[in-house]
Amino acid sequence: MHLENPFQDPLRFERRMPECAIVIFGASGDLTKRKLIPALYRLAYDRRLAAGFAVIGVSRTPLGDDGFREKMREAVRDFSEDTKFDEDVWNAFARGLFYVAGDAGDPALFVRLAQKLAEIERERQTGGNVLFYLSLQPSQYAAAALGLGGAGLGKGNGWRRLVVEKPFGRDLASARELSEQIHQVFDESAVYRIDHYLGKETVQNILAMRFGNGIFEPLWNRRYVNHVQITAAESIGVEGRGAYYQEAGALADMIQNHLLQVMATIAMEPTASFRAASVRDERSKLLRSIRPMAPDEIRVNSVPGQYGPARVGGEDLPGFHEEPGVDAQSRTDTYAAATFFVENWRWAGVPFYMRTGKRLPKRVTEIAIQFNPAPLTLFHGGAEGAPNLLILRIQPEEGISLKFLSKRPGAGVELRPVSMDFNYGSSFGERSPSAYETLLLDAIVGDATLYTRQDMVEASWAVVEPIHNAWRETAFDFPNYAAGTWGPAASDQMLARRGHAWRTP
Amino acid sequence: MAATVSADRILRELADLWVAAGQEQAEGGLGVLRACAMTLIVLAEETEDMEALGETIAALMPEYPARTILVRLGGTGAPALAERVYSQCWMPFGQRRQICCERIEITASEASLADLPSILPPLAAPDLPVLLWWRSARLLGTPGYRKLAAMADKAIVDSSGLEDEEAALPMLVEMAQGEPERAGRARPLLGDLSWTLLTRWREMLSGVFESRECQARLPDISNVVVAFAGFRPPVFAWYMGAWVANALSDAGAHAYLTWQPRPDLAGRALHVELTGGDFRVSLERHDDRLSIEAGGLSHCTNLPQPTDYLLMREELGIVRRDPLFERTLATAARLAAASIT
Repeated sequence: MHLENPFQDPLRFERRMPECAIVIFGASGDLTKRKLIPALYRLAYDRRLAAGFAVIGVSRTPLGDDGFREKMREAVRDFSEDTKFDEDVWNAFARGLFYVAGDAGDPALFVRLAQKLAEIERERQTGGNVLFYLSLQPSQYAAAALGLGGAGLGKGNGWRRLVVEKPFGRDLASARELSEQIHQVFDESAVYRIDHYLGKETVQNILAMRFGNGIFEPLWNRRYVNHVQITAAESIGVEGRGAYYQEAGALADMIQNHLLQVMATIAMEPTASFRAASVRDERSKLLRSIRPMAPDEIRVNSVPGQYGPARVGGEDLPGFHEEPGVDAQSRTDTYAAATFFVENWRWAGVPFYMRTGKRLPKRVTEIAIQFNPAPLTLFHGGAEGAPNLLILRIQPEEGISLKFLSKRPGAGVELRPVSMDFNYGSSFGERSPSAYETLLLDAIVGDATLYTRQDMVEASWAVVEPIHNAWRETAFDFPNYAAGTWGPAASDQMLARRGHAWRTP
Repeated sequence: MAATVSADRILRELADLWVAAGQEQAEGGLGVLRACAMTLIVLAEETEDMEALGETIAALMPEYPARTILVRLGGTGAPALAERVYSQCWMPFGQRRQICCERIEITASEASLADLPSILPPLAAPDLPVLLWWRSARLLGTPGYRKLAAMADKAIVDSSGLEDEEAALPMLVEMAQGEPERAGRARPLLGDLSWTLLTRWREMLSGVFESRECQARLPDISNVVVAFAGFRPPVFAWYMGAWVANALSDAGAHAYLTWQPRPDLAGRALHVELTGGDFRVSLERHDDRLSIEAGGLSHCTNLPQPTDYLLMREELGIVRRDPLFERTLATAARLAAASIT
């Protein structure tokens, strides 16, 4: 029998989802209505979904198929920011939406789910392919995976894959335990641990910039790079997620997953190919090369913070303790900064500074690579001390800037820093797909490049856990930074000890 | 209108544009960001709606920032040329700095067409691809076209503007496969907007055969009907039939292919139907939507009406060989020739 689709035109056709069913656990949750269903609707609108496509929402809320469709219709109307709501497209899409009510801890749920999947496979020609998406409380991940296994849903006529949202474990031991439970049902190759930062276009563009061009890689090492700063700042507070956030904190919520993955993308070795296994092998190798901090290093190379109240722009902002749902005695870090070192020949001795926090002056995520100064100072006066910087902006204005010195026009030789800018939005004005569109499509076509693997998760926890433990055992004098500022003074001192200073993005 | 234009003068005027923008920055403004990823030469007849064309070019710039050279071809009198230079700027949403592209406009009488190959090359942005959008169907395939196409990496034409559409296919084959105008230089790539028009249709039809069930029915397909508006199949209908025929042949199916005029269709609408036994696939457009029926399942998706902007947006993104188009073009020309004889 002929196995390839003879109508394919890879040069012109967009990547499309093959026939499949997506089972979303936690279908009444925020993520489903704000991100997942709008992303799927967008894919339908853009002709990316196969006719044989279905979504089965699963959650405890008692609902029927029609009730679920109605709720999702509202979600698409409210949260599809840049997609027109088209009644006919919606109706065709909604015919593929189904719902099964039940608790992930109840085995009967999985029996009902198996029946529903069998019906849908017959009627919608989904080919037996199923993507299970766990958008549940992390404590329910194992129960859901084992429930699927108990009902025989881990295997079927087509492929079976499992997408798991962050956080993957609370520490190294719980991450390992969760992987072991999931592996009772799904092979590691079928487990897709989502990190939506890796789905962002600019993070992917880091790979394109590094390995698609010949001019950067020769400079990408300890000989030329002085240090690297990774900043992920948010201007908002916990925004109603106080109860969740005080259990996580900035270190676990951002650095353990997103920022270490970004650092791995920046610092990893070139891959032999752009296949998922090669890219993930190199990311993993880099993460395993980060030196875990000894207790005495933690004191000087990491800084926790918690914001206090302040008046910013005429508005009184509450401190973390005053936020709804937050324990007034909470010692949770709303800010985390750390200095990491990579122990390999390329990066030995180069500090990687990382900071993230809530209620900082602006929302910005960027990576700044500062190069060593020229070996000889030929020009005096003016800005000759200004370093060469390569700045990779992830949000809000995605792009790349290179800062260097140039002679100021006129008599004499006076230098001034200038910026050469590449703006992702202006050079490619087309709409970038949302991170969830990219990641869902990748999981369905079986491309795990942008997903994290067990060894990567464990390597990240191995780096973060000693800091986490040390912070838990220390009584910090919180709050130690005012809302609307760039974090605690100790964070500035952490860099100053090496003669460096945080950039102001 | 002056009889000559000077590339040096035009380039100096372009440089002056950026000096003026830089002064604004020095005076405390945020200045502008110059963006250029290609040179886009647009050859249009003076009688065209220049305002609409200007809007199309402007809409393309955020995605394909280019130094645009718009050649307005008009008048059959003595050789005459004139030029003007300006920039097109826009402020991306949420940002504070304008992005600007350069635009050069050259007005040429038809008798000056022969001068253009000497004027345009020095005006192209160095080290970036040159794309030629040849909107004038009247002069397609003429020596003037070949000389200008020779300086481009890709020439984009629209065969739907040709009066004798069946004669267009052999001419397009010659343009795609003929000897290069200059020895040692690669023949320019060819794009035809009549083919581009079909991409979303083809994509949806292809999507049907991503399903293993439908793929298994491919060898059963025995009839293909491509219905069109009007009396004679337009070039894009030939393309559609040829593409389906090639794909089915690759899948081992031997289908009977027919082109049918259908009075209820209008403009560039098509209806495509593949049948065999109890298996049927059909695609039909209703306004901005495409309805697909395949093996008992129906599906509807968004399909905006094709505009020059949408078609060019796709073509500008492909600056390399398109073997599928080349093969389809050759098959379409063969099938069209066979239908005449």
